[in-house]
Amino acid sequence: MCDYKISERAYTKLIFHAAKYPHQAVNGLLLAEKTSKGSLVEIVDAIPLFHQCLHVTPMAEIALMQIDAYAEQEDLVIAGYYAAPENFYDNQIDKAPAVKIADKIQENFKNACLALVDNKLVTLEHDRAAIQVYSCAGDSARWAKAKFTLSQSAQTLEGVSLLLKRGAMRDVIDFDNHLDNPENDWTNEFLNQSLNDLQKLY
Amino acid sequence: MSLNYEEMSWSDVRDQFRKWREETGRHSEEVVQLWVAVLEDKVHKTGNERHLILEQVIIAALDTAQFDIATKCTKQLSLEFPGSLRVMKFKAMRYEALEQYDEADDVLDAIIAKDETNAAPRKRKIAILKARGRRVEAIKELNDYLKKFMSDQEAWHELCSMYLAEGEYGKAAFCMEEVLLHNPHSHLIHQRLAEIRYTMGGVENVEAARTYYSQALKLNPHNLRALYGLYLSCNFLANSKTVSSKRKESHKLAQWALEQVSSHTAKQSSIKNNEKLILSLEAALGNMEIKSN
Repeated sequence: MCDYKISERAYTKLIFHAAKYPHQAVNGLLLAEKTSKGSLVEIVDAIPLFHQCLHVTPMAEIALMQIDAYAEQEDLVIAGYYAAPENFYDNQIDKAPAVKIADKIQENFKNACLALVDNKLVTLEHDRAAIQVYSCAGDSARWAKAKFTLSQSAQTLEGVSLLLKRGAMRDVIDFDNHLDNPENDWTNEFLNQSLNDLQKLY
Repeated sequence: MSLNYEEMSWSDVRDQFRKWREETGRHSEEVVQLWVAVLEDKVHKTGNERHLILEQVIIAALDTAQFDIATKCTKQLSLEFPGSLRVMKFKAMRYEALEQYDEADDVLDAIIAKDETNAAPRKRKIAILKARGRRVEAIKELNDYLKKFMSDQEAWHELCSMYLAEGEYGKAAFCMEEVLLHNPHSHLIHQRLAEIRYTMGGVENVEAARTYYSQALKLNPHNLRALYGLYLSCNFLANSKTVSSKRKESHKLAQWALEQVSSHTAKQSSIKNNEKLILSLEAALGNMEIKSN
């Protein structure tokens, strides 16, 4: 059993992704530092994957391989999966889309986590993290609730609420956008940069 | 995309609304904002298009939970068309948005009782089942609906998505084939059908996927998903247990597809070392070729 720490950047991007497509299910990957510190897994970044059709595999295979190579290059590792269900009230794992991807990640990275967005908590006055984090304890191969902390919790939640009000979620780009037009950058270099600048202000 | 509301005249907004209607895009937030900022006071200038615009705004307003705007627009329409079933549907949709599903169902049933050939309220009833999270029931109802309204492509498409969510890939493929019959020249439908077949797996399905991907590319050579998909399915077939001439052909086609992907993306992508990321596919899948030689 291990704990998770989710960075401002990862959290902002996954909430933005869910908010950009409020009427669709979305999913994505979570990246962590390669060198883990004991039982704490630090999620530093999120890569948004799809919003159009989450139930077919070809493009997921392509995306996973490319993101794996990208993570390698950045000295990171794919350490988790996140998803936001289509139905507003669904917040259980068995209703979450394409959880098989999380199982697969867990085969390659033992301490992988699964973050499920709770649609009800994604609001413009965010007072607590709108996700639930699960981990796979031992060999039971079942996802169970895990402890997690959000880095700089209060500021992050305030920042995300503010940015959502301004419609900043439209700037996040997922792999589907990239496949529609290769000009779109799924690493979200641009957004990362502006989030960094914003953080310095706090 | 960002629109500068201050600088848009009412005719710009009308054209923008028209474009969104034609594309059937869901731009609810923008529609409501533009309506309030520009078009609301000028709507009488748009002539007969006004009714379509009002309908568009009602749906957008319900989608963004701005019930006052929706009610106001619905009132305008019902003053002009008293007793219209089409306007009644918006009343049902209002209940739906408020999650008063039983009331919505009653209104919809009343519409169907008055006009049995009206497809819209039947579809809304299925949407309600879906919103309530009863997907299996929704699938059953949609099947019944399609027995009566066989040429409704949108409905086949929706049924396909619901089957996919249930993991019933064979049935989903059947629905997509129905949609394909209506749009034989749509590369997107060929591509989606290929994706479903590839997901089902097995030599036969992947061969079908390869064919659909090829047709998608013939219709649109820039379809990146189809290029990647063709690469994956050819790679699969190149490593399968078929005669070696077929394997070689697949291998060649896979190489071609990957080269196309590289040249398409390299020109436009701003991702650092994107070239390398694409080549990583080769590293992950390519090493299987040794056994196929």
